[in-house]
Amino acid sequence: MDDFTLGLLTNVGLFSFLALSAYLLLLAGEMSFGQQAFFGVGAYAGGILTTLYGVPLPLAALAAMGLGALAAFLVGLPTLRLKGLYFAMATLAAAEIARLLFELLHFQREIEGELAGPDGTQGFRGIRWIFEQGIEAQEFLLLTYALLALVLAALLLVERSRLGVTLRSVGEDPELAAALGVNVNRFKLGVAASAGALAALGGVLFAHHNTFIEPRNFDIMLGVHSLAYALIGGLGTALGPLLGVALDIGVLEGSRIFGGARMIVFGGLVAVLLVLRPRGLLDEALVHCITSRALQRR
Amino acid sequence: MLDLKGVARYFGGVRAVDGLELTVGDGEIVALIGPNGSGKSTTVNLIAGVFPLSAGAIYFRGEDIGGLPTHRRLQAGIARTFQNIRLFGQLTVWQNLWVAQNALEDRARRGFFARWLGGRARAREEIFQLLEFSALAHKQDELAANLAFGEQRRLELARALASKPKLLLLDEPAAGMNSEEIGQLRERILSLRQRGVTILLIEHVMELVMGVADRIAVLNFGQKIAEGAPAEIQADAAVRRAYLGGEA
Repeated sequence: MDDFTLGLLTNVGLFSFLALSAYLLLLAGEMSFGQQAFFGVGAYAGGILTTLYGVPLPLAALAAMGLGALAAFLVGLPTLRLKGLYFAMATLAAAEIARLLFELLHFQREIEGELAGPDGTQGFRGIRWIFEQGIEAQEFLLLTYALLALVLAALLLVERSRLGVTLRSVGEDPELAAALGVNVNRFKLGVAASAGALAALGGVLFAHHNTFIEPRNFDIMLGVHSLAYALIGGLGTALGPLLGVALDIGVLEGSRIFGGARMIVFGGLVAVLLVLRPRGLLDEALVHCITSRALQRR
Repeated sequence: MLDLKGVARYFGGVRAVDGLELTVGDGEIVALIGPNGSGKSTTVNLIAGVFPLSAGAIYFRGEDIGGLPTHRRLQAGIARTFQNIRLFGQLTVWQNLWVAQNALEDRARRGFFARWLGGRARAREEIFQLLEFSALAHKQDELAANLAFGEQRRLELARALASKPKLLLLDEPAAGMNSEEIGQLRERILSLRQRGVTILLIEHVMELVMGVADRIAVLNFGQKIAEGAPAEIQADAAVRRAYLGGEA
């Protein structure tokens, strides 16, 4: 496999975590434009732990996920009181605040004769844990997809459970869900925290794959894309957002022949798709149709 | 079972419900009737906790529930249906009932150990019984959005029952039904009473009200203008003027 394909495939895997993060909140009926902030929190926290403190990556990833969940919980506390567009705006504002905080973050130490650590707008260089451990790019790709498969399996199980059905019910009509005995506020906070942890996991892997991160990585475009992944792929199943990432990155790479106009082409395609299928390619109706056919055959 | 003491709700200057006193005894079926805009649905929303009281108090089984949020009132044993059908259209019939099992005892048996000690099997069994009761067993895997109107009404009732309520608030359950369907609904309501469910019924369809209610309270402009047995209400002059359309 050449480096380009390898990098592309790894990116598809990495951004899938972010896509699933946005997807979880969309299922709960909330459109967050701020999931990139938790991706960033994970990237910075994981990078600092492995690079400056020599913490092994698995432990650093767990800690970063915890921090991502905590950050998402704290952001959710005030913002989840808002509805619809106002929630979207508030999460966008929170994410921009997070990005500006990354720009202010100077926390460097001398590691083996060189300064390492976040240096504000200059970014954070030398996150080299996987190279120091002698992990090959292909192995990292496998690791990413193994973790993704694990997360996906867990999500698919949850979706079939009562918890998953409750999640969809809260998304469809929160007032009705409350009238049926669901503590909607607490439920949504739990969803937001889980989504924050997922995004942070993606962020840790992203930081270690790239070895260099900077605040610009976590800007609004990343948040828009994470929503697009889920909305293009479909909200009927957790496989939807993954399809969305593959399509999104695939189309973007494929449309390089359009040169500078490719974002226009891409935006047009997304708009057309969302008019035709507002809940994505794999939407609830299609998924229900497929699963009930599969059941009949059995 | 249920005691409303001077219950009031103002929307700006409008007194939607104004000093309402109403008692519903254990196992009773009480109907609340009145012209459009007389405050019937507002009363249901106040009991269910959709919005807060402007004045007064609501006692449920002796406890003041006026300050409890909606989901806590359901857990305490108050379930409701809606005037305009509200279902989770993207969920199946089965799932609509599944998510509604939120009574305190249901929550207890979803604990880690209780779940494996037959809690799950019992939950399934209860859903099957509700599907039978509502004549929806053949539709259990259909999306709720694809059901016919009458089926949606039956599913709404079944969903309200899924939380094993002690008090059931029915907000115009017969709206849009034909005579045959109203007959079936009457049978269902009467059989619920036999199982010990207390019912507060809001309804315009007199055919249903007169057939099931033990007692009728009449609202007009947010105030109670009469209360009594069905025969007394039919004979009441004030009620006829306000509502039933007599000349008296």
